[in-house]
Amino acid sequence: MGMGNFAYNQLKKICESLGKHNDALYAVLAIAVFKGVMRPTFTMMDKESDKETKKYAAFREGVTEAIAFASYILTHKLVLPLCVPIAKRTGASPKKIKNGLSLLSVCLTAGIIIPAVCNLTLKPIMDGVKKLNDKRKTQKPNSGSNVLDIKENAVQEKINVPTVYSSQLSVNSRSLLDAVRRNSMQNTAMRVGG
Amino acid sequence: MLTPFVNAITSNTFQTLAQNTDACVKLETSLKAVGRPAFTLIDKNTDKQTRKYAATKEFLYQILCLGIYMAIIPPIFKNGGFKLFQKLFAKEQMPAFRNAKQMMAYHHLAYMKPSERAIENNIKNAKYINLLERGDKDGNLLTDPKTGKKLTEYLFGLKDGNGKEIVAPLEKRTMEKEGKMFDLAKGSIEFSSIVGSVVGLTILAPEISHLILHPIMKALHLEGNHEKTGDNNQKIDKQA
Repeated sequence: MGMGNFAYNQLKKICESLGKHNDALYAVLAIAVFKGVMRPTFTMMDKESDKETKKYAAFREGVTEAIAFASYILTHKLVLPLCVPIAKRTGASPKKIKNGLSLLSVCLTAGIIIPAVCNLTLKPIMDGVKKLNDKRKTQKPNSGSNVLDIKENAVQEKINVPTVYSSQLSVNSRSLLDAVRRNSMQNTAMRVGG
Repeated sequence: MLTPFVNAITSNTFQTLAQNTDACVKLETSLKAVGRPAFTLIDKNTDKQTRKYAATKEFLYQILCLGIYMAIIPPIFKNGGFKLFQKLFAKEQMPAFRNAKQMMAYHHLAYMKPSERAIENNIKNAKYINLLERGDKDGNLLTDPKTGKKLTEYLFGLKDGNGKEIVAPLEKRTMEKEGKMFDLAKGSIEFSSIVGSVVGLTILAPEISHLILHPIMKALHLEGNHEKTGDNNQKIDKQA
């Protein structure tokens, strides 16, 4: 009941506040945030495309919406300080000027600033990410010591178990075990080299 | 130069537009439909064919978003959400508005100066007044449950049989101070519209566009041609 009351009061507060003053910014920010989460999620869920393309597209969509979110906030912050000087010069209500400029800044950002910033920054960002990925991929075989360690330990564990009993084994069994041991070590070495 | 600009952005039309989520999202989506393809076309990082493909796809996607938004949001989220909130906030004593449209009509008129509210001053006023005069769902004129006064009295005052004013209409500022703008009702509409915009544009639009966009692109002979030239970038654009 307490939780329900809290939720009710919060919702009432939000609605009253939106009723008193609704900024054009609220809706576009909410859309940008959810698009930034949902679009990449949908892209990653697409079973028709390959993993790399999906990752690239999802990251690109995420970055686009992050740019949109930042642009909306930035233009809004830049426009707000203009309200008071404009109101002083024209005698109009600062609140009305603020509402008007806020809508104008949203329109300007959606129609011009976001596509322009995306055009300028998206390619360098994506190229940078691609280069980083390529670098990581080329470094992977050299820095594969962890994989080697796991394999080696695994082999050692497997080998150590029978060595405890090796004295009890027959000559044939012992030579078979040695052959297996040799092969296992060679295979591990080959994997590391390759 | 500054004064006409300020007059425009402080006008009643612009102010009500700025306070209306529905209108703001429509405006934003329309601008995206123009701006994004235009900037895609002038982007020199990709070849002409890819730009043409990406710009057309972006334009169609935004138009589709606008269509989905206009088809789904006002009837389902705006009206449905408003009715849901009316039930939820039943104890808050809001007037028994028939629907979101009627509440918005009251809000539009309340936002004007009393002298501007008359039918003769604006063609749209006739539409708003007509909506208000339809009353609640039983056809009774809308009243403020807190004072028992009719909402038309707040907006237009009261006149006697000879046309002499008995009660003066209220200024917007007085309405705001005395809680006669019904912020909770207006806020409920805006809140449902924001939720609807998010659901419509981030969940429904991408899913529906996935079903519709490719056949349209194929019908326009853009997808086939585009795939023929196929390099890596094109594959990526299609996904994005």
